[in-house]
Formats: sequence, C-alpha cells, structure tokens
Amino acid sequence: ALVVVFSPLPRLRGLLQRCWGRLERGFLPGFSGGQSPPWGPALAVQAPACLPQPVDDAGESNEAPSLLDSILWMAAPKKRRTIEVNRCRRRNPSKLIKVKRNIDVCPECGNLKQKHVLCGYCYAKVKAETRLIRIEIHKKEGGPFNAPTVETVVLYDGEKPTEEDEGKRIVERARKRPSWFVQN
Amino acid sequence: VWLLVAAAISYGRVHRQLGLGPCSRLDLLRDLMTALVRHERIEAPWARADKMWVYVERLIDYVKLGDTNERAMRIADFWLTVSFFPAPLSSPCGPGAGAEHAALQEKDLIYKLFKVLASQFQPHPGSYTHLLQIPNRHGLDHAKMAVIELKGNPFLLLICPCHDTEKTLLNQLLKGYREDTQQAAAP
Repeated sequence: ALVVVFSPLPRLRGLLQRCWGRLERGFLPGFSGGQSPPWGPALAVQAPACLPQPVDDAGESNEAPSLLDSILWMAAPKKRRTIEVNRCRRRNPSKLIKVKRNIDVCPECGNLKQKHVLCGYCYAKVKAETRLIRIEIHKKEGGPFNAPTVETVVLYDGEKPTEEDEGKRIVERARKRPSWFVQN
Repeated sequence: VWLLVAAAISYGRVHRQLGLGPCSRLDLLRDLMTALVRHERIEAPWARADKMWVYVERLIDYVKLGDTNERAMRIADFWLTVSFFPAPLSSPCGPGAGAEHAALQEKDLIYKLFKVLASQFQPHPGSYTHLLQIPNRHGLDHAKMAVIELKGNPFLLLICPCHDTEKTLLNQLLKGYREDTQQAAAP
C-alpha cells in the first residue's frame, strides 16, 4: 500500500526500488508466476561519466587546521613597542589616578572629610554614644521583643522631663550632657 | 553557550542586583526595614539603603491611613513579620511558612508602627527618613556605606545645623561695615 501524502517523486522512487528488487531476484515486472526467461538490456540511457559519490574530501577540510596553518592567522606583534609609545600609553590621563578635589576640613573636629560624606571622627563619636543609649534601652526593656508603644526621650544627669515629654518613656544616661549633643 | 554569554554582558542594564534573586532581594529589604523600625537608625551598604528608603516611606504612608484599614494591616504584616532567629526551615519566598513563628516575635513592632510612628509623622506630608553617606567600611571590603534614620529618632543629630560664628571673614567684614556706617551716622 502506498502512502499518498507525499509528492509523486517518492512514489516513483518506491516503484523503481520494487522493480529493481524484483529484477535482482530474477523476475520480470509484469510477469506473474513462472521462471524468468533470459533477458538482456532493452534500453540503454546515457548517464554521466562518473556518478555522484559520497564525498570523502569534505571531511578533510573540516578538521582542525594544522600548526602550520594556525601560524598564519594568530595575532602577534610585528614590531617592538618603543619606550615613547609605551610612555604615551602608560601616562595617558585616563590611566592615571584622579586627583580628588572634594576634600574639606570638618568644622567641628578639624579632621579631613569628603564634602558629600559625614566626618568619620564625628560619626564615630555619635555611634559610640548611640551604642551606650541602646544599652540603657535594652536594660529598660528587659526582653528581646519588648518595643514600647510610646516615644523615647534621652535625659542626662540633672535634667528633668519637660512638658512636651509627658507621655514618653524616659531613658536616663549617667553622665552629663555632652556639649555637642543636640536632641533630634 | 551564547545565551550564557548574552546573560553575562550587562551593557545598558539599569536595575541593581541585590542578593541572589528577587526573593532574596525582598528578604533583604524586609530585614532592613524591620531593623529600621525597631532601632530607628541603621548602618547599611549604600545600595541597599538607597533601595530601602522608598519602601519605608510607602509603608509609613500606608500606616498613616490607620489601624483599622485592612490593606494597611496586610502590608505591615508582610513587611514586618520576620523571624529574628534564623530558623532551620527556611521559607523559599515570602514569610508564609515562617508566619506562625514570626507573628509572635514582631507583634510589638506592629504596635509601635501604628501607634508611635503614625502619630509622629502625621503632620509631615512627605519624607520621613534621612539617608547620609559614611566613610567606606573599614578593613573588609571598603564598601560604600550609608546611614538611614527615621526623622523623629531619640538619638543625636548626625548633621548639626550650625550657624556661622562671628569669627568668620564675612561676618567680620559685615561687622566692620556696620560699625563704619554707625560712626558716619553718629556725629
């Protein structure tokens, strides 16, 4: 049974293949039963002199190029770079370290600071004081998850809570108020 | 192979990559936000702080709507409930798995959010945070660090609004000019 889906060419090919098979086995196409009589070539067709063979040469061109070939297309410097050219490349302004012009003096402590960054010394001071305040808060709270539902005020030695600190929780620090402390 | 190469080239990609992926990024932001609400002043890498303050301000805007608002409650629930101790079972994305664990732990922060911070920031229409850069992290990787703080925090001011003293050049010149005009006007 033939498969009707394809174009007629495979059909012809299939037919030819079956005819060839029958010829090989010794039957004549169209001859039903009986032995085949001796037969010779009925028709001779001109064919190309050399039939197209599977090309073995194509494989050879795909193999990795030999060492001799690779020398021809790998990059390599042609001449020694002179010291002048080297200097031009090494001292090009894009390669030098840029000079920073945004360094100033902190007005509070006198250390150097960058203009858009906080002063390191002043920040370290504030951080140490904040740490101590947080220790006091921790002592007051007791446990790990007891954040209060009211605001917090920090008071130093000898200070009384003012009127606006009425409903807030007070955290006491046992030292006198530092001169640079400004309450937020 | 070419897909990997195309993924590695990052020309023109504007978004910052925080953490391992989107879930990890959200976890990082959530941790930072919880820490900020708890401690009111946080030191963190500048990139993370820069991404974080937007979320914090939006959260405070929602919280200002009120305690009864369902949406505000859900948002605060998502952004604050975090298990403080790293639990052995890690939730892959979102706090859903650790919710029972965490709901007990950060409940006090939700109260603090709705009661303290909402009333504190009610008069302000907009920004509730300060973001300032710090000298690079010392020793380890010299990372660009920043400090985020909520505006009403009980600690010291990082930037003191200091007025110019009388000893500056401009003030001395102005003082001299004032005295000259007074002397010219007096006799």
